Amino acid sequence: MKRHRFTFLIVLAITLALFLAACGGAAPTPAPEPTEPPVVEEPTAEPTEEPFAPMVLSTEQECNSEAYAGEFKQIAALDAHTVEFTLCRPDPAFLSKIAFTSFAIWPSEHLESTGGTGELLEKPIGTGPYMLDSWNRGDSVVFKRNPDYWGEPAKTETLVFRWSSEAAARLLELQAGTVDGIDNPAPDSFEAIAADSNLQLVERPALNIFYLAMTNTFEPFNDVRVRQAVAMGIDRQRIVDTFYPPGSEVASHFTPCAIPNGCVGDAWYDFDVEAARALLAEAGLADGFSTSIFYRDVVRGYLPDPGLVAQDIQSQLKENLNIEAEITVMESGAFIEESTAGRLDGFYLLGWGADYPHITNFLDFHFGEANPQFGDPFPEIFDLLVQGAQIGDPAAAEDIYVQANNAIRELVPMVPVAHGGSGVAYRADVVGGHASPLGNEYMAVLQPGDRDQFVWMQNAEPISLYCGDETDGESLRACEQVMEALYAYEVGGTAAEPALATSCEPNADLTVWTCALREGVHFHDGSNFDANDVIMSFTVGLDAANPMHVGNTGAFEYYSYLWGLMNAPAAEE
Amino acid sequence: MVQYIIRRVLASLPVLIGVLVVTFVLARSIPGDPCKAMLGEKATVEVCERFNQAKGLDKPITTQFAIYVRDIVRGDFGDSIRFNRPITDILIERLPVTIELGLSALMIALLVGIPAGILSAIRQNSPIDIATMIGANIGVSMPVFWLGLMLAYVFALLLKDTPLQLPPSGRLTAGVASIPFYEARGWIVTQGTLAAGLAEFLSNLLILNSLISLDWVVLADAIKHLILPAVALSTIPMSIIARMTRSSMLEVLGLDYVRTAKAKGLPGRRVILKHAFRNALLPVATIAGLQLGAVLGGAILTESIFSLSGVGRSLYEAITARDYPIIQSFTLVIAVGYVAANLLVDLSYAFIDPRIKLE
Amino acid sequence: MSAAASLITHHSSLIMTQVTEFPLPDEVQRGALEANSLWRLTLRRLLRRPASIIGLVILGALILVAILAPLIAPYDPIENLIGVEGAEKGATPCIHWLGCPADRPQNIMGIDRNVRDLFSRVIFGTRISLSVGFVTVGFAIIVGTVLGAIAGYAGGWVDDLIMRVLDVLLAFPFLLLAIAIVSVLGPGLVNAMLAIAIVSMPTYARVVRGSVLSVREQAFVEASRALGASPYRLLFIRILPNALPPLIVQATLGIGTAILDTAALSFIGLGAQPPDPEWGAMLAQERSQVFVYPHLVFFPGLAIMLTVLAFTLLGDGLRDALDPRLAQAGVKGG
Repeated sequence: MKRHRFTFLIVLAITLALFLAACGGAAPTPAPEPTEPPVVEEPTAEPTEEPFAPMVLSTEQECNSEAYAGEFKQIAALDAHTVEFTLCRPDPAFLSKIAFTSFAIWPSEHLESTGGTGELLEKPIGTGPYMLDSWNRGDSVVFKRNPDYWGEPAKTETLVFRWSSEAAARLLELQAGTVDGIDNPAPDSFEAIAADSNLQLVERPALNIFYLAMTNTFEPFNDVRVRQAVAMGIDRQRIVDTFYPPGSEVASHFTPCAIPNGCVGDAWYDFDVEAARALLAEAGLADGFSTSIFYRDVVRGYLPDPGLVAQDIQSQLKENLNIEAEITVMESGAFIEESTAGRLDGFYLLGWGADYPHITNFLDFHFGEANPQFGDPFPEIFDLLVQGAQIGDPAAAEDIYVQANNAIRELVPMVPVAHGGSGVAYRADVVGGHASPLGNEYMAVLQPGDRDQFVWMQNAEPISLYCGDETDGESLRACEQVMEALYAYEVGGTAAEPALATSCEPNADLTVWTCALREGVHFHDGSNFDANDVIMSFTVGLDAANPMHVGNTGAFEYYSYLWGLMNAPAAEE
Repeated sequence: MVQYIIRRVLASLPVLIGVLVVTFVLARSIPGDPCKAMLGEKATVEVCERFNQAKGLDKPITTQFAIYVRDIVRGDFGDSIRFNRPITDILIERLPVTIELGLSALMIALLVGIPAGILSAIRQNSPIDIATMIGANIGVSMPVFWLGLMLAYVFALLLKDTPLQLPPSGRLTAGVASIPFYEARGWIVTQGTLAAGLAEFLSNLLILNSLISLDWVVLADAIKHLILPAVALSTIPMSIIARMTRSSMLEVLGLDYVRTAKAKGLPGRRVILKHAFRNALLPVATIAGLQLGAVLGGAILTESIFSLSGVGRSLYEAITARDYPIIQSFTLVIAVGYVAANLLVDLSYAFIDPRIKLE
Repeated sequence: MSAAASLITHHSSLIMTQVTEFPLPDEVQRGALEANSLWRLTLRRLLRRPASIIGLVILGALILVAILAPLIAPYDPIENLIGVEGAEKGATPCIHWLGCPADRPQNIMGIDRNVRDLFSRVIFGTRISLSVGFVTVGFAIIVGTVLGAIAGYAGGWVDDLIMRVLDVLLAFPFLLLAIAIVSVLGPGLVNAMLAIAIVSMPTYARVVRGSVLSVREQAFVEASRALGASPYRLLFIRILPNALPPLIVQATLGIGTAILDTAALSFIGLGAQPPDPEWGAMLAQERSQVFVYPHLVFFPGLAIMLTVLAFTLLGDGLRDALDPRLAQAGVKGG
């Protein structure tokens, strides 16, 4: 017997060794060193001792030209604590945008020493209330309090981020007391959490839209009467009541009311089966038709239960309008690709969450001239949007957005269904519990009873901690604890407040913004924060020709989408 | 013996090359591209062009294959598209999770399955036998994902606040930190060397790590987290092993020399253990080795239900994210594991039954 | 020594499946003429085991349920009960004669989160799962038999080529390969079945090849060949029937596995698509709510288990009944 046990051990050992050989055998090859030193003007190594050498980032391409449609003409350090942003056109949303997590400021030395990738992705060095302690891949990210923070210090010494893709598992951990706060409890458990005296539920305001889209280049959706019939023939209230958590609402307009001018103009059609059938009959489709419903099985705040909602819409289409729709679940990437290119023949379920709280973030993206996702764009809508985007004062723009919203209602490129509520749940003894409409919960203000550690559980692991080149909320939220931008959104809200800048003032036509920087701020590595750090951070994100413009994906999506990249090579036709 | 091993390894090369090709072709045939999968609804054409350029996905497919093969031959798995990190690093983090889970499941399966099979065989047609065999049949019929969910429901929720409560996800409780054994012991490991990679790999086997560094808190916590997933994953191999043990025991018990031994008046237990079991072990070893593969397959579902970031779950996520380098290299590693397990099973014959010679 | 070596090749060639191979009963080796008596004998042995009888009974009941589904199910499986008095999303099971208040509608297994009767869905799910099992295995057997027969009969490089390709397929974890194939083909029940069939096909090919090899050189085949029988005739009339017993055992067990694996694919969203009442898909839809509505997860899982159990019990019984050694042991023991 002894020998057999020994045999078994040997077998185990060899298995292990072979596995090791398979994975460990690959000797780590050193990451390719950046071939040239970064070519940004005069990096100042010791800004405190040497005289400040202000840096400038400017585009070599002409503003508003075919080559460059971006927004920044130049970003310049005027002195150690003043930065001037010169824009190609007025931007009323400038402050809301500059506060976005992706545009956080990094120490220029760190950016240079990492070459814009590699260690940069794993070791964030910022000015925030927490600093990174360790990232245990696949398990947790641990942060420690920044003792040298310029503002209100973090309430707890330690902050831990964990994750689980299963809503049920997250709730269970919270109930067991192994975590202090969880993101996105499942809609069905809202009631149970609210009723549990050990827990508290904070509803997240619904700054999003879930819509049922139709591509108007396909039969019969090219007939506006068919689209209107669908708009009237679906009981949206039933969908929200049955499948959405408390705090959600039926969409009266595409843009949520919390956003200025979001819901001006006429409210959406009432549910009216008779009128809908009459419209279909008028279009010659009294007997309905056959089509498909496409969606991806991805949970978002605007669509907490994609499968359930798709099946309900399917049964409503059948019951109310005699439309036979077959459900096709698509892989997420393929779905986005096909739907945004306007290639899906049928209905599809998609939505949008606000990046920054401005109406242009909702309407211009979806109904602009260049977007084929609903088929041919409508000039009746996009002409108005171009006008509206030039006006800084919401009150002055109201009339234009009334017309735009009414045009959307009339032409029905899609049916807005719901603004989906979601929530954050905390243990009852957590003081300062809040939910951010933008998904940026700010952990530094949370005091978990008498404990000195706050454990947060979200849906997924951050992809990297260089958020200049990340898009998913799970990464952005982690970055938010460590990194700061010139402005920041108020805790639990959307208003932009000064952060690393004490103020940013525009000129009269909103094309030049001058920001005064906070003085005496130190990064986590002890280096001083000054204007050149701002220039360098924007250079890495914006300047496609810069060798440090590497990041994680290389796409720098938010830089690209909110500002437009500079010096990008011309796109191949 | 050595010659035999070399021959077997060489013989498995074509299979591994086949795996390499099939994986590459399959991965690239999946519709959709990594850019859209990763960047989501806000990805534009220009953004994706830059993305593909940065990841080398704009090169012709044949060139990409050539680069891939060249790197594999050099022992370099390349970088993950999604995480932009060397895959070797990711393997060092994730493979231990699966190995720990798989070996625990296999161990439970052997520890329960073999005694149950023996008992069943010596008490043939008794209630014990019938119950064991019905249990085994139920075991192989149960969907792993269902059993996992139900176990989590029972042990995490129904038995909450009892001593039997078990955590439904993760590897460690938040705040319990596993310190690598070499740090705990003060051993110096030079970063970036093969030894460092190996040490890190071993330290990610939490149970092994805490045993070496004598950290009982982590050990207890890690075991507590491992129980539910390991049990869920063990049912199928356990049932198969129990059945195999029973039938091969029955066969051996019916053979002449066992009857002779009995007739000679040797005590029953000794006959069973010394003579019968030893000979019955051969097919059991085969099946146990082969179950290693089944365990790896089942790990895909088990890991996702219990939120464990192992190889199985990473692979599934990589397929969803179109992270080709991860799909390719993880699959290759698993295939190597398969082939190795097979080889080990064959080698173990020679130990179990000295009459078998390997040539 | 050579026996030992062949034992090793034999075992090592099975990478992940249990293939049953056993000496052919004498009856079969004497030719197909006496096949009838073999099947009668097998049936008699099968019915001697309580476990097999249980399997047969469950299977019979399931087939009956599948055929009579519209009569048994109180509702249409995709009918929405929103608006029905007392019907509530996620409601727990309500059976009136077990004391459920009469003012609640009777839903034996409760109501799912799309407000549909779970019992009706589980009943209709029987149809899907049984057809999945039979069709998938049927397809795998046909392709596997052709490949195995060619490999075994032709031998040489043809055999080598076919078997190496199958080895490659077997070097992947079963489910992983199936996931990859469905990812390429696109999700859906038919594609999932196709993937499972492709992945399980090598097993059948091996069984057939093994049987072909074992009888190829035997006297009665030699004799037929000498008498000038065509190779096809030889293959189909003389050789393949001998592969039937192990193939039947493998197929019975394989149906269970196919059902289980298709459910697993549906569970991760690659198999049956909503609103089809497929058990794995039903589990997937409700899994996130297992702590709130455990009954919605419990019943579909139980249905999968019972169905697979029926095939496992039956397959086991058949194996024992067809294997003369075990059958004898059984007789002696009993």
